[in-house]
Amino acid sequence: MKKITFILTLCLFSSWSFAQDTCASSLPITAGLHVVAAVNGTDIPSPICADNGVIAGTNGRGEWYSYTPTQNYTVTITTNITQNNPLRDTRFHVYTGTCGNLTCYAGDDDSGANYSSVDSFNVIAGTTYIIAFDNRWSSTGFTFQLTEGPFVPTTPQRITYTTQNIPTVNSSYNLCVVDMNGDRKDDIAGVSANNLRIHYQGTGGTFTNSDFPIANTSNMPSWSLAAGDYNKDGYNDLILGGQQAVTFWKSNSTGTAYTNESFSQYVFCQRTNFVDLNNDGNLDAFSCHDVDPNVYFMNNGSGVLTFYQSGVTPGATTMGIHTEGGNYGSIFVDYDNDGDQDLFIAKCRGGAGTAKFNEMHRNNGNGTFTDVSVAANLYDPIQTWSSAWADYDNDGDLDIVVGASSTADGNHKYMRNNGNSTFTDITSGSGWDTNTSTSIEHVAHDFDNDGFVDVLGGGNKIMFNLGNGTFAPANYSGIAVGGIGDLNDDGFLDFLNGSTVRYAVPNTNNWVKVSLQGIASNSYGIGARVEIYGVFGKQIREIHSGDGFKYMSSLNAHFGIGAATAITQIIIRWPSGTVDTINNPAINTRVNVVEGSTLAVGTFANSEFSVYPNPAKNVLNIKSNDSITMKNASVYDLNGKLILSSSIVNDSINVDALSTGSYILILKDSNEKEYTQKFLKE
Amino acid sequence: MKKYYALALLFTALTTIIISCSKSDDEQYIEVSPVRVDLTQVPYAKLSDYNFFDGPMKNQKPALDVLIYEPASALFTDYAHKKRFVWMPKGTKATYDGDGKTLILPVGSAIIKNFYYDNVQNVTPVGSTRIIETRIMIRKTTGWIFAEYVWNAAQTEAYLDMAGSNTTVEWKDENNIVRVVDNYRIPSEQQCITCHKFNELPIPIGIKPQNLNHNYTYTSGSKNQLAKWIEVGYLDNNLPSTITSTVDYNDTSKSLDLRVRSYLDINCAHCHQTNSHCDYRPMRFAFSETTNLANMGVCVDTQDMADFPPALGKIVNPNNINRSMLHYRLNTDNESFRMPLLGRTEIHTEGVALIEQWINSLSPCP
Repeated sequence: MKKITFILTLCLFSSWSFAQDTCASSLPITAGLHVVAAVNGTDIPSPICADNGVIAGTNGRGEWYSYTPTQNYTVTITTNITQNNPLRDTRFHVYTGTCGNLTCYAGDDDSGANYSSVDSFNVIAGTTYIIAFDNRWSSTGFTFQLTEGPFVPTTPQRITYTTQNIPTVNSSYNLCVVDMNGDRKDDIAGVSANNLRIHYQGTGGTFTNSDFPIANTSNMPSWSLAAGDYNKDGYNDLILGGQQAVTFWKSNSTGTAYTNESFSQYVFCQRTNFVDLNNDGNLDAFSCHDVDPNVYFMNNGSGVLTFYQSGVTPGATTMGIHTEGGNYGSIFVDYDNDGDQDLFIAKCRGGAGTAKFNEMHRNNGNGTFTDVSVAANLYDPIQTWSSAWADYDNDGDLDIVVGASSTADGNHKYMRNNGNSTFTDITSGSGWDTNTSTSIEHVAHDFDNDGFVDVLGGGNKIMFNLGNGTFAPANYSGIAVGGIGDLNDDGFLDFLNGSTVRYAVPNTNNWVKVSLQGIASNSYGIGARVEIYGVFGKQIREIHSGDGFKYMSSLNAHFGIGAATAITQIIIRWPSGTVDTINNPAINTRVNVVEGSTLAVGTFANSEFSVYPNPAKNVLNIKSNDSITMKNASVYDLNGKLILSSSIVNDSINVDALSTGSYILILKDSNEKEYTQKFLKE
Repeated sequence: MKKYYALALLFTALTTIIISCSKSDDEQYIEVSPVRVDLTQVPYAKLSDYNFFDGPMKNQKPALDVLIYEPASALFTDYAHKKRFVWMPKGTKATYDGDGKTLILPVGSAIIKNFYYDNVQNVTPVGSTRIIETRIMIRKTTGWIFAEYVWNAAQTEAYLDMAGSNTTVEWKDENNIVRVVDNYRIPSEQQCITCHKFNELPIPIGIKPQNLNHNYTYTSGSKNQLAKWIEVGYLDNNLPSTITSTVDYNDTSKSLDLRVRSYLDINCAHCHQTNSHCDYRPMRFAFSETTNLANMGVCVDTQDMADFPPALGKIVNPNNINRSMLHYRLNTDNESFRMPLLGRTEIHTEGVALIEQWINSLSPCP
């Protein structure tokens, strides 16, 4: 008797444990209740279509079912049912496709009570859906229910996303989406101790990765990372913001090796940035200091950086000198439209002191800054770690969403730029007043390419800019700020979250991307203002190295233009002062602009000098003001490639060897100031 | 020549002893504390300049009027051992300001804390004690200042260094297992003040009546520390009859609740209490405030989820350590997620076990 029971039990148990233990052996089911004896199948569900990521270690298990509806339904799968008493902590994934090549379709972890799972989704008659439970939280058995309801068409979202795991994106810090090899396509730069792993984007969004060993000990970017070509060799370098100090990873001249430049000075880094503080065409760097005045690194023009701390180092300019720090989210923006980069610092600090008040520092245009926080109406105690700047109302100046990380000293604020260096609080009724989701990250991008800049902050939702002064939330399971860029070159912005890429599925909106190649300015045009014009009016973007709190996003300017079918003009206002204009550019493509390449021949970008003859044959003569002595000349082609570099002898350079065509001339005076001029060679 | 010199020295020494002895016979001899804390000169360049210790400094033997003390529960700092001392100018004493508030120390006071490891493997001789640093706080008329001293390899002197640095320590623990802290952090001045402040003004943390109201075994015998302070004249004798006190979190004879509250107080409350570094988050970990479970984050939503999986949506989730942010933050050495923010690079395994036991003992959220 006993033996028979045992054998019976064994049989039953066996059938349960083997029938649905793998995708290939998925148990076909129909509507109704289904008992999962235990989650013990050896085939672990992948990809993950619900919250809370992969199962660490080797204990992952799965249970597999398949479902093929006979007609179109809106179905619900739930473990939030009375048959489970108590309710179990379950998680499931729903796939389309075939085993080994599954695509996420639906799934849930915790939408039900007590961490049970519930999801409703639409199914099409005759399509097979694979349903898989895993043991992310528990291997205990439970019952689930599949119900078929009348088909309810979903309202289309402004933009949707698909996720894809890239297993080789497995560095310790996967924070950075930026071009690393000079082709202006966004790559992925991953940082580990002694290793830089770059995934280069090829055609069709494919990636090939390379590892670059980095000698010596580096500070890891546990607080933030930013990219910029500070040695001006055409390849982006990195600043790693650590808990104790700052490290730079600098490329060699071919982008085939990187070296570590670590600074010893104690800095509790928060947001880091690259920025050309003295507008000499070479990038300097900045780091927020959590518990002390901010620090910055001045570039001597040869990629050698010198450490300064505001209010501490003799001669340092003041960019946040509160002795208690509280500096979290720095962003360099031209808030007063005067052509230089001003500094906003999102601040946070407990207690009754003043370290929590946000700061606005105006660039005086000569490498010094003035605190204008109060005058600008931005001196505000909101506990914010980052704030999102953009021209939300497309009126030609930058507005700000001050994003709260805690509501202890006030919730989010939406501040309109009045166009006169002051801001007005227009939070009321904007959608930000009713948004209770807090986050240390707030970034501004046009995610749906409708021509209005949206904001991603907390709560797994994009705050879509409706273009009428209000924002409306749209929830996306698991969406979060990460490195943002166009990782498949389709004109829609994608996210890197750990090793998962969240790809936007293109909608019908049109777009343009603008990539920049600086000559007199820094190589990627950080600090440049890009404007586009069309039936939609005017839109502006700035090239930021370092927005939000932690991550690094694309250095390409990205515009959506909605249903518009043309852009009449793109204008680039470079940090050097050069203005490039492109008329009637193609849309739905990337437009690459080399600094000075659209200047008309013979149009003088400045009054300091002139060149003749133009077109030139053998010799180009340079006539400059009495007060200026031109020292060196560099000649670039219209692709930004350096063709000729020479010192200036007898106020002229020899251009005999150049092929016929248009060239950009950069002249450097005895004070290292640079001047741009276009000329023709015949 | 050499011999004569030695003889002469001996003679001088003997004479000195004889003179001093006869002197004490003649009149009431009062030994005076050798400690020197000149507020116009501190912080001194060297630790020895204070004369806090008798004999070789590395023996950590307090000089006259330098009183050793120990809080009931200790801050975890990568398994470093600590010895703490207090000194006050003659005739001055501290005053009580509340069970859970730092004693108000007179101007001129100093509190001294040595950080050391025993049985260290990466020093010569192998297996000796290595004192790494001595942290001093001095009460000036304008308030407290910090003075950080880093010990030399010979363990004969420690030098003022406010810039901060790192060092590697390899030692054998009580179970003879070799352990390593790769990046033991000697704090910079800014790191000192990050924890040691209240409304942005520097303040000591450990010397609260709640932390001192237990027996300590002095060379003269075991005695309640507060009574000892009163006895030696370091504390006004006007304490309330009962003092709400923390316990030693390692003491399993005490209730789990008291042990956890004591642990959270000494490890977390300096930032997570009103008017401190991170008071914009909802936790209130001061011992006086943790009679309320919500102040410990139990069933309270995590406020900011950026970079965390949604599973960590509660600060403390009863009987569910995998869904408790508090547990996650203590059980990681990732420097952007770990708590406390400063003071440790390793996971405090025993502390995490205590927190686990406590979380698993809590009743479900309503």
